[in-house]
Amino acid sequence: MPFKKLTLKLLRYLLIGVLVVLAGFPVYWMATTALSLNSELYGSGQVIWPQVQNLPELWRELGQVPIGLWLFNTLLIAAGGTVLSLTLGSLAGYALSRFRFHGRGLVGFLLFMTQVVPEALILVPLYAMFITFGLLNSLTGLVLANVGFSLPVACFVLKGAMDAVPYEIEESAIIDNCPRFGVLTMIILPLIMPSIAAAAVVAFFAGWNEFLFASTFLMDRENWPASVGLASFVGQYETPMSAVMGAALVFSIPAIVFFLLIQRKIVAGLTAGAVKG
Amino acid sequence: MTGSKIRSGMTRLVPYAFILPPMIYLMVFMFWPLARQMYMSLTNTRIINPNRGRFIGLGNYERLFDDPAFYLSLKATLVYAVLAVVFGVSLGVISALAIDRPFKGRAIVRAILLFGWAVPNVAASLIWLWMYNDRSGVFNRMTEFLGLGRFPWLTSTELALGSILAVTVWQVAPFVMLVVLAALQSVPHEVREAARIDGADELSTFRAVTLPHIRPAIQLASLLVCVWSIRRFDIIYLLTGGGPVGTTSTLVVKIRQTAFEGHELGMASAYGAVGLVLALAIAALHYAVEQRRMKWMSR
Repeated sequence: MPFKKLTLKLLRYLLIGVLVVLAGFPVYWMATTALSLNSELYGSGQVIWPQVQNLPELWRELGQVPIGLWLFNTLLIAAGGTVLSLTLGSLAGYALSRFRFHGRGLVGFLLFMTQVVPEALILVPLYAMFITFGLLNSLTGLVLANVGFSLPVACFVLKGAMDAVPYEIEESAIIDNCPRFGVLTMIILPLIMPSIAAAAVVAFFAGWNEFLFASTFLMDRENWPASVGLASFVGQYETPMSAVMGAALVFSIPAIVFFLLIQRKIVAGLTAGAVKG
Repeated sequence: MTGSKIRSGMTRLVPYAFILPPMIYLMVFMFWPLARQMYMSLTNTRIINPNRGRFIGLGNYERLFDDPAFYLSLKATLVYAVLAVVFGVSLGVISALAIDRPFKGRAIVRAILLFGWAVPNVAASLIWLWMYNDRSGVFNRMTEFLGLGRFPWLTSTELALGSILAVTVWQVAPFVMLVVLAALQSVPHEVREAARIDGADELSTFRAVTLPHIRPAIQLASLLVCVWSIRRFDIIYLLTGGGPVGTTSTLVVKIRQTAFEGHELGMASAYGAVGLVLALAIAALHYAVEQRRMKWMSR
């Protein structure tokens, strides 16, 4: 019996080891490649540990890629989308959490539906619409398109948090004739700050990662976010692979850090939308 | 709703003041485009003048259903989605079970296992493209070292879909793991202990005690992974561009290519309509499963 237990334990650690290698290797390889010299990458073979002494070389290479401008555009797109989807999402979340009204079921169904609609389905009509309104090739247009998908998620996360706030807390304010909008902004929202932060991170990184809309709607290089800029390295060979991986790493690190920080909240948000719809 | 006893005409309008702005937004930027897309599939709209297409009835659909490329695309979409669910969910559940019980370094292991989910899609595509690189990629360096020779990971009709699936599984398994880990916390520890004391082995304890608790989580994760696979564009587009010979051109890749490389917006919209039917079918399935579960829980 103890022998069997020991074997099981060893097997379990072996399994964990294999999983860690499978999950971690691509990121490790991205960092190692970024810190390699190009002569190694295409010639003799890559050194399999990160060569930190090549950091200045990587820094010099990254200087030749407009990664700063791309990240700045990404930041604008992500921040704009976050503000808009949180504003609209908290209004919708409050309505769904606190009121029974005609059409409530329909609203819930429509919000749920946005979660199964592929972005590509509205790509063509949005393109036509943006031509009409002069929104093609503008960051504003891109943000407006992105928010259609991040707003429902924000709504689900915030509604869930508001459901947990007891009605009694806002009751006295309502009796004192405080307008409901004031109740939302001054009483409810301050109470659900952690969920607002979570919804903000989800919306922010939805905009940060977005590629399909950005690559279709933005033609000018100076408007490109990092996702489109990085994708432009595919199939071209002037940029050294170490610089490509370095840029990808710079683009990934904020996402990795924030996803790890609020992982549980993200899962709760994504699944709540799918369950309660 | 407790407490709201006063119901005048004014207060009845209050909820609409909150719900209308977001709903109008979605009407303009989500549902109107969806409806327009359905209409466009009945026109011969070209990209040169996207707002002026002529109504041609079911012409696009007739062409679509006569085109072998369409069936190839449909097949690629379904095979990709089903296999992503099978492998992504299995690996996710295995990971969750492996790190459920505490051990030294669990927090770090857990963080590393989440990498694939956290890395942005475009960055993930670039890493894997480099790893799949024909001459210098790490996979071919390894297979050459082992004496197996080089493999055309992304350019052979047999391997391309599998190579993309590997990336997909790397990305979705961590999410499944998180959902299942959350569900595992609801398994009463005492029940598991009791089963073990009664002489039940690991496997039967898992089947009788653990599995019923995490089954709803697994179902939910499967549906989400399926929906995401049908939506996924970036990694397929960047890794293979839908090739070789259409073996990885899922419906969403096909929509983008027909519209912006083939310049036929009407035809692209017809592909979109098929995608919408597929998405709605899965949503309906999801809804049905959810209803049944609610009933089961309230019994």
